[in-house]
Amino acid sequence: MTMFLIKKSDVGKIAEELARDHQVYGPMIEKGSGQTFFDRADDVSEISLSAPIPSNPPKSVVFPQMERVLAYEYDRPKNSVKIEPDYKVEPKALVGLRPCDLAGMLCLDRFFMGQEFVDEVYLAHRKKMFIVTNTCVAPFKQCFCVCTDSGPAASEGYDLNLTDLGDEFLVETGSEKGAVFAAGLGLAAADDSHLARKKKIVDKSISLFEDIAVDSKAWISRVMNRVTTGFVKEEVWEYIGDQCFECGACSFVCPSCSCFNIADVTNPECEGCADRLRSWDSCSYEGYSRMAGGHNPRKPVEDRRNKRFFCKLSYSQMKKYLRPGCVGCGRCAWVCPGDIGLPNVVTYVRREITR
Amino acid sequence: MNQKPGVCTFCGTGCGHFIGVENNRIARVYPSQNHPVSKGRLCVRGWNIHELLDTPDRIKKPLIRSDGPFVEASCDEAVGRLIDSLKKYPPESIGFLASPRSSNEEQYLLMKLARSVFGTNNICLDSESGHRASLNVLHAGTGMAGMLGSIEEICGAEFILVAGIDITRQNPIIGSEIHMAARAGAMVVTMDSRRTQIARLSKKFLQVRPGANKLAVLALAKTIYEENLHDPSFLEAHTEGFEGFRRAFGKLSENELYEKTGLKADEIKTVARHLARAKSAMVFFSSGISGLDEDTIGYIYNLFLLAGKIGKEGCGVNPIAGLNNLQGGYDMGLAPDLLTGFQPLADAATAKKFEKEWGTALPSSPGKPIYRSLADQASELKALVVVDHDEGIVRYADAIKKLDFVAYIGAFKNPFAEYAHVVLPIATYVQEDATFTNAERRIQLSTKKIEPEDGLLPGWKLYSMIAAKAGRAWKYAKVSEVMDEIARLTPAYAGVTHAKLAGGFGLQWPVDDKNPGGTRRFDLAKAGRKLAFYGVSDVFEAPSADDRFPFLLMVGKAQHFWHQNNLMKKTHIPMREYNATLMDYPEGYVEICPQSAKEIGVRDRWPVRVVSPHGEMRVSARVSDDVSPNTAYAPYFVQEMISRFLLGHTEVLRQGEDATIPVRIEKV
Repeated sequence: MTMFLIKKSDVGKIAEELARDHQVYGPMIEKGSGQTFFDRADDVSEISLSAPIPSNPPKSVVFPQMERVLAYEYDRPKNSVKIEPDYKVEPKALVGLRPCDLAGMLCLDRFFMGQEFVDEVYLAHRKKMFIVTNTCVAPFKQCFCVCTDSGPAASEGYDLNLTDLGDEFLVETGSEKGAVFAAGLGLAAADDSHLARKKKIVDKSISLFEDIAVDSKAWISRVMNRVTTGFVKEEVWEYIGDQCFECGACSFVCPSCSCFNIADVTNPECEGCADRLRSWDSCSYEGYSRMAGGHNPRKPVEDRRNKRFFCKLSYSQMKKYLRPGCVGCGRCAWVCPGDIGLPNVVTYVRREITR
Repeated sequence: MNQKPGVCTFCGTGCGHFIGVENNRIARVYPSQNHPVSKGRLCVRGWNIHELLDTPDRIKKPLIRSDGPFVEASCDEAVGRLIDSLKKYPPESIGFLASPRSSNEEQYLLMKLARSVFGTNNICLDSESGHRASLNVLHAGTGMAGMLGSIEEICGAEFILVAGIDITRQNPIIGSEIHMAARAGAMVVTMDSRRTQIARLSKKFLQVRPGANKLAVLALAKTIYEENLHDPSFLEAHTEGFEGFRRAFGKLSENELYEKTGLKADEIKTVARHLARAKSAMVFFSSGISGLDEDTIGYIYNLFLLAGKIGKEGCGVNPIAGLNNLQGGYDMGLAPDLLTGFQPLADAATAKKFEKEWGTALPSSPGKPIYRSLADQASELKALVVVDHDEGIVRYADAIKKLDFVAYIGAFKNPFAEYAHVVLPIATYVQEDATFTNAERRIQLSTKKIEPEDGLLPGWKLYSMIAAKAGRAWKYAKVSEVMDEIARLTPAYAGVTHAKLAGGFGLQWPVDDKNPGGTRRFDLAKAGRKLAFYGVSDVFEAPSADDRFPFLLMVGKAQHFWHQNNLMKKTHIPMREYNATLMDYPEGYVEICPQSAKEIGVRDRWPVRVVSPHGEMRVSARVSDDVSPNTAYAPYFVQEMISRFLLGHTEVLRQGEDATIPVRIEKV
């Protein structure tokens, strides 16, 4: 694939160009609170490639927290139903995506589109998408993507990948679409020496984890082996389950969590009319695994909790795609009221192994 | 970017969130990372608030009814009917039931409307009025009618007592802070009759016999005093009235205390020593239906005063408000005997200040709490205005039906509206600027996020319209001017303006010239007075079980259950959780331990009959290790329990103390 260089002062042009025929999303800093959001940019100049990792993953672009997927109207006397799908087909561009978040989206792709049935709603969001990733030249406090093979640089799935070389950005193209777009920008070509500089920067970034990414340490591979083979003692899960507040936050902030709930909401002002809403759901909720008739295979909280970690570290991605379902972003650790984000859970399981 | 900062309005924690808006509709919610209270966390309710704010289950049109069903009316017409109906009665016969969910501005104006326009002092808060008990104790003792400590200081407390509150369910993010403090090394002790989540997360769990919390606190205080673990020079220099409290120590022997509380001597002594020796200590509790009574709260406050753990960093006697603006409700004078900021109505200088500001005389006849009037067959109450009601309705449905006139004002559809003759819709809290005061006295501004639907007025405008039509023109051009007026009349809010709150994370009152940045906690050095031990009784009526009624039944809140769940039912995910429990236990449940279940001969989800000296109800059994043998627990959402069973127990409920009732449980 082709490579180019873009001056730092010009890098905003990428988003500007994309904004011509895309809805553009990117990391932006909310001024009052200083919190970074990955959100739709009304003004693409607000997008900041140097902003800290966004507090929210880009998941909400392709899988919104609450979304109307169709509306229907049931005419009782005529016994007829009018169904109107409500798919959001506008082309979208994600600019400045962090590698972990791209890895999360690829997990979502496998879930929603890579199995027997393709999720049309997700497909509509994902189709015609243009992705520009941003290599992390240094980790953030909560990062552990080096343990989950999802950073600090993206290796697949992008159209363009940017790496800050100091005075300019290296622009790597990852798809035909990306190559055509980049060629149209009239940029200077990059060569192997730039790629070598990128490699140095990535190596440096990895070496910085020891000192900067101090919040979360997670020796995932060892624990994955343990979880996959089912050798974690019940007491460990109980210890973890006791600390679960059943808020659902870990699932909601996870770039790769894909569970959802469907609710038909009737309209009191129109008889027979309803909106079908799809919204984020979480395996930490008791009602999530409850079956019709009342049986609940995962009623105690520790059984629901361990399901999350079996899912992340064993069956949802690992057994099918040979990668963890965790992408090492560390968000679950900072939103968890019980302090049982994935890194801590990994620590508790490891503690049992080493004992 | 489309992320608008705001404040969660479910419980009294006051977590910060961001609301995403699409096409003038609320589309999503996300936690606020840098908020000093919630620090990026939300609970199950907070994570689903967008579902509530987007519900079609709103009241959108004014409704009136004469004899038949409701008919839609113009706002003018409905307000006219409201005024005409209220004016028919003398002020003593009119009542206002205000909402602990409304903003400070709305609460203040409703209070002003009741007093200055309709001339009545019959005004009170509709839910959890038990919070008053906590405020009475703290105000009498220290002069501060609110939490003495601060949520931000939980992480700095060496010792934390959680007394009789299921805090990880009721106020989960405060529970989370306590859990984090425990993980960082704090000595967290839970005192409860039921093994709650926080009990499991504590270093020490004192499983007290139901109804014996007061005795357990007494036992702790007695130990501190008798082992000389307190600081006599602190008592001498900073407190008064210790003698009155000390008298209670001699009432019961140690053995009697252990027997009645069900605790062991070494448990009590270890905890008392930890409390006394910690550099800083906090206590959390709640008052009201599932909390403690005033006397028990007096004992808790006295224990911490004796231990010298008041007015210092990391210290605090902390009553927890279960509803978002319950603290604000008392700050705004929603009580028959109070004006704003806990200023007594009976104080002539205060009354004069209000009369001057309002340009009218305050009603002189004392008001009555609305619930007391509803419970009183001989009450003069004839007409009632209710705002945004959550609970209590089922308890007093019959009395409310008998009233001549009922008006309901609210944003969401509510079963209470069925009893009304006039229904007036208002905008939701995201459709106007509004301030709310959380449990730790933090006044936060939540800014307007979407436009109200056609014709819908925010509460402050509706109340201004009612006042104007009733002949008193209030001249507020915008809602911030209401706060300006509150600030002029309320010393603790003197320095508060919307402009000052904008863009920040709120200020904790008192906010005044001396504390322009607010006041994190009660400060002994700045108190300028001695702290008074609260006058407590030395009568201990711990309810006891006997052969006829061998179980002590406790009443409380369960997860996902929120004040009759009127609001939860309008969401999707929390409603599913609610329904799941109701499907498992369609008649509600009473929780008993496996041993008791075996003795009675029932299994989980089998029907049982709960019989007390005053009544009986049929519910399902829920078998759980969380309760001890011979104790039982019923969540407060069980309609049959509230509507019928508890009616016979008004005396027990008034006594508070966990609302413990001796019962017999039988297989059906």
